[in-house]
Amino acid sequence: MKDRMIIFTCVTTIIGFMIAVQFQTTKEPEIRDTRNLLELRQDLTSEKERQAELNLEIEKQMELLFQLQQTEDVEEVMTNAISELRERAGLTEVSGQGIVIEVTPIFDENYSSGPIRSVPAYLVRMLINELNINGAKEIAVGNQRIVSTTPIREANGVTLINSSRMAQFPLEIKVISDDPEGLHHAMMSSRSKEFFAYENLSLESTPINYVKLPSYDKALRVRYMETVKEES
Amino acid sequence: MWLPFIGLLVGLLLGLFTDFRVPDEYSSYLSIAVLAALDTLFGGIRAHLENKFDEKVFLTGFFTNILLAAGLAFLGVHLGVDLYLAAVFAFGVRLFHNIALIRRTLLDKWFSKEKRPAKTKEDN
Repeated sequence: MKDRMIIFTCVTTIIGFMIAVQFQTTKEPEIRDTRNLLELRQDLTSEKERQAELNLEIEKQMELLFQLQQTEDVEEVMTNAISELRERAGLTEVSGQGIVIEVTPIFDENYSSGPIRSVPAYLVRMLINELNINGAKEIAVGNQRIVSTTPIREANGVTLINSSRMAQFPLEIKVISDDPEGLHHAMMSSRSKEFFAYENLSLESTPINYVKLPSYDKALRVRYMETVKEES
Repeated sequence: MWLPFIGLLVGLLLGLFTDFRVPDEYSSYLSIAVLAALDTLFGGIRAHLENKFDEKVFLTGFFTNILLAAGLAFLGVHLGVDLYLAAVFAFGVRLFHNIALIRRTLLDKWFSKEKRPAKTKEDN
């Protein structure tokens, strides 16, 4: 009887150990902060920048609020605010100095594939990213204005921007920027030029004093945003 | 009577405090081994209650069941068939069966204990 209990005890000890090990294995591993000093500093700097941006935004909103409280004619201030927001959302035509990028197919003598119908979507995305990195303020591809929710996708071999077919060649991409020269040089030496060349497309950019961008003409689809109910 | 429970506690604490971990890809083997061990344990308890307990059978059953279950899972992984499900099913069914039998035996013992004094009273 005593032997039996000892055997049971040994077995239960082993089972307990196995259960504990299994429990520890399936438990989520703790996430350690493994950033080094440099990464921490970088993160700190980016957070500080973000804070500064947010502060600026708050200041702006406070000013607007102050204006609204001060002026008798609230309507005008509100109209101004709305038109500014519309402009920022890309719902108005804008013009200014910038660059015009022209995309044309190039056929060298060794070219043997089929016709080139449109610029692949990934190249358009890449180009837009590079433009934004290099300080573009507003972008329009063909007749389509690029806003924050613009979809760029490919369907049946045709690239769609804002759900409409991309303009035919030569494709004009109009960009507004504060520093057209700088943007022009950046684009001419950019990686996207190289990648366009792989697809037999040439990319030519010219700085221009006055360029007019069309407005975004589709309905803006707002998801993940709700109106805030005013606390009374 | 309490020794096995103390053993279980000691094992649990040992496992928790040694911070011993099994690589993620082997955790399924360990879980199946745990299941096999539990099955054997309950089988042992049942045999003990039915007075059919044999140390040799119990101990060899314990280790071979664990190894067999892990081996089956290993084979399943390499064959691309979820063989460990077979082991889970078999052990699960047996576990429930054993627990049910243990419950019945305990109930029987309990009732026979309760009835016996009543009977003696009647006899008196």
